[in-house]
Amino acid sequence: MLELKRDYLDQKVLERLSTLQLHARLPMVGSVSGKHRSPIRGSSLEFAEYRKYVPGDDPRRLDWRAYARNDRYYIKEFEADTNLRMCLVIDTSGSMNFAHDGMRKLDYARRIAGTLAYIAAQQGDAVGLYCAGTGFHKEIPPKRSAAHLSAVLDELGAMEASGETGLANVLHETAERVPQRALIIILSDLFIEPEVVRNCLDHLRFRKHDVAVFHLLEQRELALEFDRPMRFIDMEGGEPILADPTVIGAQYQRALEVYLEGMNTVIQETEVDYHRIRINENYDDVLARFLLGRTPKRHK
Amino acid sequence: MGFLQPFALIALPLIALPILIHLINQYRHRTIPWAAMMFLMSAKRMSKGMARLRHFLILLMRVLAVAALIFVVSRPLSGGWLGSIGMSKPDATLILLDRSASMERQDLQTGQSKRSAALQKLAELLEQGDYGTHLILIDSASGQLQEVDSPKALLDIPIAGPSATSADIPGMLASTLAYLNANESGRVDVWICSDLNENDWDVESGRWQAIREEFAQLEGVHHFLLADADLPSSNLSVRVENVQRWERGNDAELVLDVIVRSKGNRDTMRQEVPIEFEVNNVRSVVEVKLDQQEASLKGHRIPIDTKLRSGWGSVGLPGDANPLDNRFFFVFSESPVRRAVVVSDDVKNGEAFRRALAIPIDPRLQHQVDVISVDSAAEGASLNRLAGQWENTGLLIWQAALPRGSVAEQIAQFVDKGRVVMFFPPTQAFIGNLWDNPPVIRKGNQNADERLFGSHWRDWQTPGSQQIFSTSWWRGDTDLLAHVESGDALPLNELRTYQYRSFESPGTPLARFNDDAPLLSRVATDRGAVYFCSTLPTAQFSSLEREGVIFYVILQRALGWGCQALSVASQRDAGPDVLKDASAWELVAPTDNSPLLSQHGLHAGVYRDGAYWTAVNRSQIEDSATAVPVETVDALFDGMSYRRIDVDVGDTSALASELWRIFLIAMIMALLAEAALSLPGKRTRTTF
Repeated sequence: MLELKRDYLDQKVLERLSTLQLHARLPMVGSVSGKHRSPIRGSSLEFAEYRKYVPGDDPRRLDWRAYARNDRYYIKEFEADTNLRMCLVIDTSGSMNFAHDGMRKLDYARRIAGTLAYIAAQQGDAVGLYCAGTGFHKEIPPKRSAAHLSAVLDELGAMEASGETGLANVLHETAERVPQRALIIILSDLFIEPEVVRNCLDHLRFRKHDVAVFHLLEQRELALEFDRPMRFIDMEGGEPILADPTVIGAQYQRALEVYLEGMNTVIQETEVDYHRIRINENYDDVLARFLLGRTPKRHK
Repeated sequence: MGFLQPFALIALPLIALPILIHLINQYRHRTIPWAAMMFLMSAKRMSKGMARLRHFLILLMRVLAVAALIFVVSRPLSGGWLGSIGMSKPDATLILLDRSASMERQDLQTGQSKRSAALQKLAELLEQGDYGTHLILIDSASGQLQEVDSPKALLDIPIAGPSATSADIPGMLASTLAYLNANESGRVDVWICSDLNENDWDVESGRWQAIREEFAQLEGVHHFLLADADLPSSNLSVRVENVQRWERGNDAELVLDVIVRSKGNRDTMRQEVPIEFEVNNVRSVVEVKLDQQEASLKGHRIPIDTKLRSGWGSVGLPGDANPLDNRFFFVFSESPVRRAVVVSDDVKNGEAFRRALAIPIDPRLQHQVDVISVDSAAEGASLNRLAGQWENTGLLIWQAALPRGSVAEQIAQFVDKGRVVMFFPPTQAFIGNLWDNPPVIRKGNQNADERLFGSHWRDWQTPGSQQIFSTSWWRGDTDLLAHVESGDALPLNELRTYQYRSFESPGTPLARFNDDAPLLSRVATDRGAVYFCSTLPTAQFSSLEREGVIFYVILQRALGWGCQALSVASQRDAGPDVLKDASAWELVAPTDNSPLLSQHGLHAGVYRDGAYWTAVNRSQIEDSATAVPVETVDALFDGMSYRRIDVDVGDTSALASELWRIFLIAMIMALLAEAALSLPGKRTRTTF
């Protein structure tokens, strides 16, 4: 077991989640044997399918029982188990500094990402980290070594949020830079237009990546419950806005509703693993829900 | 709009308070770092139209609420007149009250007269405002100034009560000027309460110009006219004329003319009106049908006891809009012997006068004429001695040089007792004054400067090539030359004058020759009448005697009027001086609501002083006068600080009423509107 000194990692949470495994929802192409399905047939104990024998096939893989029953040659194929590459894409724009009781969205994302990285490393998967500010703030390609995990966790602990968001560009870049199928986990408040998010997710899906999205929001952003005029300072460096929430509250809610409905549509159409989270929720519950939701259902 | 607490208006700038608070609030905002800017920007874009308008309305409602609160505290008054004179308060307030009979027209629903309605409104208004240190009432009936303790007292004091008199508004304004000049008052409000009756206002009078000029020299005098010129919807008035007591054998009767006038709609005019007569406590009712605006009952006979030599009676109508013109009092007595004295310097002319005066117009009348030659007149200075019954003489014809000294004084006293004097030109070749004692004969035109009643004779005029002087103009509507009862004019156009003697006189011409010289003039006197005629009746001078009619009519009329003063019963128009010694006159009728002694003569009724009877009634013009157009009245005050406030006798609303309730309601409404606008919209919780 790795020695944990990162304060954003909670030993109790790790222990609680130790019984759960991180599963990919799509077949992965790994470099070593692992716990995830591979698009390539392999020698695991998990039966995959029958296939007609073609010259060149290894005769040892012929299913003689099937030949005895119907006098035809079939090759019995089994699933290949491989490892996965998990790429953590964390939005490090200024808006991720928005906090609830001292807990910033970035801190929340850091805990989820750190815990997932630890779980993935524990089950032998490669872990990579991409910090998305206006561009790539930090890029650590996925690897399997313990030292690599340590580097990822160090970077998670050290990263800070600032500037405008360049998440859309980073996601498009990530889609291109990660060469093989990977589990792309996005942690962001996604304050970009749903149509832009759709383009990014379509791109990732096109590259056969398994995409999971943690959409981090804070309660005040959803309610705008202030009783006096406020000067809203754009955390991403834009122009401040002076507004009276009692006057524009209704319009704010309408704009938020339109956005969330748009996001729902995008998620339904892109079929990504989407989790909308208030950052006052316990992140271990969120992770447990996430991991359980990805556990393959057993065939009866 | 005026204010009872105008100093509270100093706080009016506080209406900017909500705007200031809004601006301060805008600068007192909290600053917060915010992530979800995209929703804020979108919300701001959406809230530009209606939300801004709503915000503006909220601010407006707050401003209105504060303004209404300030107005509530300042206690605004409606009415408008206070606003027109600014904030300053008067040092004194003068009330010119028209107490004429027409002001007693009532609203049939409220029973309130024009006079009492105007007084009540004015009293309420002055109570609410500030009327200064002096509140002076000038009433039209007495014409006197009286200081009043408080506006409320106006409603109770007798000198503000009803009267049967007519008003003299220019005279009241002249009294106001006299008061202002005597007291050197500062800012003064002059309130005139009137129904704009044309006889009360006398708009044609030359006094108005002088009044305007004098008021224009005074600063700080503001005139307010409370005008109620509405005519009654229907009103009848009655009056009696020509009351005569005759004896026929062993019976006696009263013969009188009753005139009923109607004002109002035509339905009323067609009705039958019962007229109630009361004589010696005996009542009778006669119905007359009104089919015109004026109906008369000529020569109505009422039998009376033969022993009733003098007395009184009344004629009444059913109640209507004006109770004051529904009853008319009259008095009667035996007709006195009509006695005339002729003083003449020419026998022929003296005889002409005697003949014309000796023949009565009614055989029941007795006429007696004494002709005194100027020679015998010159021998004695006392007319008393010359004319044996001088005190019982109604007419004096003076056809001689103008007298002076004690005789002149006697003639003046004669006129002052209500008798009539007619002066005709002397025919003497020389002109001297025979009435000096001893007589002094002066040659030529030496007495040209001798004047009596401001008049004196000048030279004889002859027509020259024209042969005769003709009468080009005469007044046929009134006085000696008025049309006869049938309506026909006297034939003055047929009168031929061969000589006339011009005279200078301040009197009013009643007829003129074609060269504009007066043929007949009347000199204004308090009582009685004085006439100057420029020609003589004999054929040498004119056709007066030969034609006869004109000469006879004017002398009979003059004799009749002069002899009215001889009667123990007299009819008078109500006025302050109608009963000279008011304490000597006892009120006989009406016995209910008898006025104070000081008000005797101002109220209609019958008064008695020993054997003398006097019936006091409203003047004839009160029944027929119409209202002066308000534009004409406004023009009378041209150049003066003046404001007319039209009031209606049926209108019970005050001239000025406090409006704070309206502003309080406005404030509440503004606050409610502000609250409604400030309510947050229906907050829809976003489904997460």
